[in-house]
Amino acid sequence: MATVKEQLIEHVMKDEASIPRSKVTVVGVGAVGMACAVSILTKELTDELALVDVIEDKLKGEMMDLQHGGLFLRTPKIVADKDYSCTANSKLVVVTAGARQQEGESRLNLVQRNVNIFKFIIPNIVKYSPNCIILVVSNPVDILTYVAWKLSGFPRNRVIGSGCNLDSARFRYLMGEKLNLHPSSCHGWVIGEHGDSSVPVWSGVNVAGVSLKNLNPDMGTDKDKENWKAVHKQVVESAYEVIKLKGYTSWAIGMSVADLVETILKNLRKVHPVSTMVQGMHGVKDEVFLSVPCVLSSSGLSDVVKMTLKSDEEEQLRKSADTLWGIQKELKL
Amino acid sequence: MHSCNRIMATVQEKLITPIAGGASEGPRNKVTVVGVGQVGMACAISILLRELPDELALVDVVEDRLKGEMMDLQHGSLFLKTPKIVADKDYTVTAGSRIVIVTAGVRQQEGESRLNLVQRNVNIFKHIIPQIVKHSPNCILVVVSNPVDIMTYVTWKLSGLPKHRVIGSGCNLDSARFRYLMAEKLSVHPTSFHGWILGEHGDSSVPVWSGANVAGVNLQTLNPDIGTDQDKEGWKETHKMVVDSAYEVIKLKGYTNWAIGMSVADLTESLTKNLSRIHPVSTMVKGMYGINEDVYLSLPCVLNNSGVSSVINMTLNAEEVAKLKKSADTLWGIQKDLKDL
Repeated sequence: MATVKEQLIEHVMKDEASIPRSKVTVVGVGAVGMACAVSILTKELTDELALVDVIEDKLKGEMMDLQHGGLFLRTPKIVADKDYSCTANSKLVVVTAGARQQEGESRLNLVQRNVNIFKFIIPNIVKYSPNCIILVVSNPVDILTYVAWKLSGFPRNRVIGSGCNLDSARFRYLMGEKLNLHPSSCHGWVIGEHGDSSVPVWSGVNVAGVSLKNLNPDMGTDKDKENWKAVHKQVVESAYEVIKLKGYTSWAIGMSVADLVETILKNLRKVHPVSTMVQGMHGVKDEVFLSVPCVLSSSGLSDVVKMTLKSDEEEQLRKSADTLWGIQKELKL
Repeated sequence: MHSCNRIMATVQEKLITPIAGGASEGPRNKVTVVGVGQVGMACAISILLRELPDELALVDVVEDRLKGEMMDLQHGSLFLKTPKIVADKDYTVTAGSRIVIVTAGVRQQEGESRLNLVQRNVNIFKHIIPQIVKHSPNCILVVVSNPVDIMTYVTWKLSGLPKHRVIGSGCNLDSARFRYLMAEKLSVHPTSFHGWILGEHGDSSVPVWSGANVAGVNLQTLNPDIGTDQDKEGWKETHKMVVDSAYEVIKLKGYTNWAIGMSVADLTESLTKNLSRIHPVSTMVKGMYGINEDVYLSLPCVLNNSGVSSVINMTLNAEEVAKLKKSADTLWGIQKDLKDL
């Protein structure tokens, strides 16, 4: 007796192994990893999603929960395994694995714990997807992007840190609230270290090309009656505040990562503030990763936009670079 | 020299010349989510990513977590098309909602059946529902909290709203899981496999095998034993997997959220965009299939911007009708003892 499937369906081609064209792997199925996964799936960016983690039960549960939404998605294959073979042929690997900040803890404190985890993860990624682009999200992201770059042996265009993409998004949101405009119409760039010493480039802040600093020359200084400097301070404190209230942050970082994934997979050449190797720029002498505006495409990070920074802004970048290098040179890789 | 009395125009004033006077109109597609647990937030993020509402409100009793979740969503505003995201313990923040999604309440523990949660959740709803209706008297209520068929009945009673405006998420997720699992077996996309699971959301849901088809080709015609114990291919197992799904995911990760969130967003889309799509959701079925009590069970419902505009009259066999009736009796057995509705 022929089965239902045999009666219903006639197979008309010779089977060949099908290789996914826009596969994304998310390493780490914590709150951040899953927020990235759901954002990427709902935005229909990928034809295959792989999840990896070390906690097998949770990993399988998350995979099943996403698969059960298959009717509502346009991603026909969702896989998960502790073993990295399930990640093979990824175009893009998003690394969210690692310890996260406790309440009040700075990102820099997480370093050595996360370096050890990366020593396991990165070679495994490379083994199964030697041509992929690695997008590092785990904190402290600038240092860990450096670590991922060193451990992978990849050229620098294929190792990117999510960096200040989220800081800039938060800045633009707060700017929009202040001006009663949608964030996408408020332009402002936060660069440098993703964290306490990020740099808001006030000279570039504009709406419809109108420079706000020209309208208010005190903007960003302590003399400013409108206290725009507080907007940047709020950006820096955002993560700590949300962590204090709900224990962690997930949704905003997830959406900002999906935004980067979209630009890369769709080869859009949009400019994003993400973490890249900035040695030789803005007076930085060491091999450190900091966020600057970068052109992203299907080759990864192909170009950097050269910002005209004021001397105190460059000074801040160099100071961040020094801090990061101070930590990096002690790392055993 | 500047006069000390001169008022400096702000950046906003220098930048922007207002044209339209007066306050802006209220939202046209406001969605409220009650409960910011895993399910509520999964509903919220799915709804936001699908760009459905022009305003989203969150309500809960745990104030810190509520504020944190609100901020985390707001920080993603650059990537969204929902310009206003608000949250408060106080229900005034929900005013003017078109759709209110209720996820509040306690959830199943490992191995616990949905029916066990009832009285705990009824007491919570006695606080929630009147406040929702007070601030959004014209809304459509979508109940997700379990046991969803009973909680939708409770919501209908407490709200005083007409029955077409109180909907339970019901078997929307069961059917989605069924379609996913069946499609996997047939190597097609879930949207290309059509199958309906109706009745009670939970252990005694009813898979309507007579309707299962791909491209209009009826599977039961190909295999008359489908869904029975005689079936050599064991298709009945697929329905069992659907029933066991939630328990399995709960055992592995502690709860379920992504699939239910996506399925609720799917319902919300039909409601807000007035699509008249058919979904298996929980509606008041008194008078149908020999059911004489006020119970909510899932049937194929046409959803548009007034809520449940109509119900499809499924052709069910005697065994399927008997199962619906049995569910109705079980649910009524519990409902009639609920106090103060």
